[in-house]
Amino acid sequence: MLKKIFIRLIILATMLVVFNFIYGKWFYENDLKKHAKIINLVSVIPNNADIIYTGESSNITYREDDLDKRAISEFVGDFYPELNIDDITKPASHAGVYKKLLELIPQENHVETIVVTLNLRSFNAQWINSDLEAALQKSFVLIQPYPPLFNRFMLSFKNYDNRSEAMRSDDIHKKWSRDKFIMPGDFQFRNVIEWDYWMANNDMYDKVKSDLACHYIKTYGFQIDFENNPRIKDFDAIVALAKERNWNLVFHLLAENTQKADDLVGEDLIFMMNQNAEKLINYYEDKGVTVINNLNNVDDEQFIDQDWTTEHYAEKGRKIVAKNVAEGLKKWHIKDFKSVE
Amino acid sequence: MLFNTIDFVIFLPIAIFLYYLIPQKYRWIMLLTASYYFYMSWKVEYIFLIAFSTLIDYSTGILMEKSSTKRKRRLLLILSLTTNLGLLFFFKYFNFAANNLNEFLDQFSVKQNVPLMSFLLPVGISFYTFQTLSYSIDVYYGHQKAEKHLGYFALYVSFFPQLVAGPIERFSKLTPQFKVKHVFTYDNLANGLRLILYGLFIKMVIADNLAMLVDEVYAAPENFSSFDIFKGLMLYSFQIYSDFYGYSIIAIGSAQLMGIKLMDNFRTPYLAKNISEFWQRWHISLSTWFRDYLYFPLGGNRVSKQRWIFNILIVFVVSGLWHGASWTFLIWGALFGIVYMIEHFFNKSIKITKEFKPYSFGHFALALKTFIIVTLIWVFFRSDSFESAMNIFKLLFENIGMSGAELVIPNFLIVFFSLFIISDLLLYNKRFDNWLGNFPVIGRWAVYGVLIFAIIVFAGVEDFPFIYFQF
Repeated sequence: MLKKIFIRLIILATMLVVFNFIYGKWFYENDLKKHAKIINLVSVIPNNADIIYTGESSNITYREDDLDKRAISEFVGDFYPELNIDDITKPASHAGVYKKLLELIPQENHVETIVVTLNLRSFNAQWINSDLEAALQKSFVLIQPYPPLFNRFMLSFKNYDNRSEAMRSDDIHKKWSRDKFIMPGDFQFRNVIEWDYWMANNDMYDKVKSDLACHYIKTYGFQIDFENNPRIKDFDAIVALAKERNWNLVFHLLAENTQKADDLVGEDLIFMMNQNAEKLINYYEDKGVTVINNLNNVDDEQFIDQDWTTEHYAEKGRKIVAKNVAEGLKKWHIKDFKSVE
Repeated sequence: MLFNTIDFVIFLPIAIFLYYLIPQKYRWIMLLTASYYFYMSWKVEYIFLIAFSTLIDYSTGILMEKSSTKRKRRLLLILSLTTNLGLLFFFKYFNFAANNLNEFLDQFSVKQNVPLMSFLLPVGISFYTFQTLSYSIDVYYGHQKAEKHLGYFALYVSFFPQLVAGPIERFSKLTPQFKVKHVFTYDNLANGLRLILYGLFIKMVIADNLAMLVDEVYAAPENFSSFDIFKGLMLYSFQIYSDFYGYSIIAIGSAQLMGIKLMDNFRTPYLAKNISEFWQRWHISLSTWFRDYLYFPLGGNRVSKQRWIFNILIVFVVSGLWHGASWTFLIWGALFGIVYMIEHFFNKSIKITKEFKPYSFGHFALALKTFIIVTLIWVFFRSDSFESAMNIFKLLFENIGMSGAELVIPNFLIVFFSLFIISDLLLYNKRFDNWLGNFPVIGRWAVYGVLIFAIIVFAGVEDFPFIYFQF
C-alpha cells in the first residue's frame, strides 16, 4: 500500500510542477493585475529616487478650496529641488503594509532616505482589527518569493488575516475591556469601555457631539504596550530592513487633532496621546531612527474631517507638517536644502 | 477554522496522522482534543458552552436511565431540553424576540425597551444542540442506552468534521464507530480525499465565484433587467447548494479518512420531482431530524387532515426558524410548507410523478418546475428583510425589457459550472467517491488534475464563509 501511495505522490508532484508552469505562463500575470495591484505602488518608483515618502492617505488628501492641492511629499520636495522625492501612498495602510512595500524596493534602487509615517491611531485596537486589513493582507499573497502556483494556492486557501467582521468587532471589544489604564493621578475609568459608557450616557453634549467624543475616546484612549502591540513589531521590522538596506530612516509622527480631543474629552485623553507619542519617540530614537514630531502642530481648523478622526490636512496643515519633515531631513541632505517661504 | 483555509489544510493531515498513530484505546482523547482545538479556533470561550451542554446531556442521560419513574425521567428530559434550547434561544433568538417585543410595545407607546445583546453567535450552535437533543430524547424513550463514558459522549457532541455545520448525526450511528478500531486503508484514504477534493471544488470554485454575481444582483436589483435578476436568483440556488453540499462532503470525506462514516446530506436535490422529494434530498440530516423528533411526535400523518396540515406547517416553520432568527426565514419555511401541501393534494388527485423514470422528459420537466419554485422561495432565505425580498419580486416584473447592468458570468465559470451541472446530473442517486472510483485510472487522474488546478487557480478570492456556518 505504501508503494501505491508513493507512486501517486510522485504523479501528484509532477502534476503540480506542470501546473506551476501553466499557471506562471498563462494566468499569473493576469492574477497579479487583479489581486496584487499594490505592487504597482513600488514598481513606479524610479531607481534614482533619493527619498521615498511612505504613508497613508494623509499624504494626498486635500480640501477642495485648497489653492495648492499637492501632497505632503511634494511640499517636502520644494525644500529639496535637486533631489528626487517619490512617494508610496496607500490609503488606510499602516506599518505592516509599509514594511512589505519597502521590502519590494529593488536592491538596485539607489534611494538614500526613507520617510515612514508614524500614525498614532494605527496603534489602536480598532485599526489593528480593522476589516480593511483582510484586503490589504490579501494583496501581498501573490507577490511572495515562492513559485506562482504556491502563491495562488495560499491566496485560494486564505492564508491571510481573514477574520469575519463579527470576530474583529469581538476582538476590539475584548481589547478595550482588557487593557487597563495606568494613569498618574485619580482617574475614574479603568478602561475604554467604562470611559466610553460614561461619555455616552452623561448629559454634557447633544447626541452628535457625544458620539464624536466617544469616537475620540475609542480612537486615542489607549496606552501602547510595547511588548505586544503588533504595530511596534512592524515598525521594528522596518528599522531592521533600513539597517539591512543601509537606508536613512525617518519616522514622521503625524499630527492629530489634539485641540478637538481636548475640547471634547479633556486633558486625560491629551495626556495619553502625548504619553504614547513621547514613548514612541524615545523608543525609536534609541534605535537610531530620526523621529519628527508633528503631533500637536496642526490646528483644528486645518483638519478636513471635522466629524471623524483622520490625518487629512488642508493646505496650510500639509505645508506645516511638510516643513517639519524637511527640517528633519537636513540631517542627511543639508547641502540640498533650500528655504521655502 | 474553515475547511477552505490553510489552517485546515495543515490541521487535517496532522489529526489523521495522530489518529492512526495512537492506540485505539486512546484515540477518543486525541479526537476530542483535536475537536475542541478546532472549535476554539473561532472563539476560545465558547468551548465552555459545548462542555456545559455535554455535561448536562451526559448527566441527564445517565440519570434518566437510572430513574425508576416516568415523572423523574420527564423532569430530566425537560432539564436537558430547556438547557439546550435555552442556550440556543439566548444566543440565537434573544435579539430577534427583543426587537419584536420592543416594536410591539412601541405600538402602545410603551418606551420600556428590552436591551439587545451584542455577542458573537457561537458557530454551529444549532447543529450540536440538535445533535444532543436527539440523544436525550432517544434515551428518554428508551431507544438509546445512556453513554457511560464521558469522553465518548463529549466526542459525539464535538466530533470536528461535522461539529459546526453537520451532518447532524444520531448517537447510535456515530458513537459506536469511535469505539471500533479503524485501520488505515487505501480505500478510505482515496474515497475520503475524493470527497474532500470535490467538496473544495464546488465550494471554492463554484459557490464562491457565484457568490460574487449573486451579491451584485442582491445589492442593487434595480440596476438589472428581469432576465438578469432571475439569472441571479437561479445562480443563488446553485450557490447555496454548492456551498452547503461542498461543506458536507468535505466533512464526510474528512471523517472517512479516519474510517468513520457520516450520513449523506445531499442527493442531487435539484433533480427532485416535487418539494416533498426535494426535502428528502436536501439537508437530509436536518429533514430526518425534524421528521423523527418533531413531525412524528406531533402525530405525523396518522391524524386528521386539518391536524396533518398543521403538523406540516409547524415542521416547516420551525425548520425556517432553525436557520435564522428573522421573519424572512420563517416565511421561507412557511412557503415550503404551503407548496408542499399544494403539491400533495394536487399530486394525489392527478397521480403524476410515479409514472416518470429517471432522466425521462417528464422527470426533467418536473425537476425544472421544482427548481423554479425552490429558486423563488430562496429569495426569502437570501434577502436581508421581507421588504427587500418583495422588492426583488416586484422588480422581476417591473424590469422586463429594461436595458440595465448585465450580469456577466466569466468564461472560466461557465466551463466549471457546466461541469458541475453535468456531474450532478450523472450523480443522480450515486455518491461522488464511488462514482469516480469506477473510472479507469487515467480518467480518474484527469478528473483529479482538473479539480486540483481549478481549486488552486480559479478559486474565488473574496471571503465568503460557508453559508450554513451562521446557523
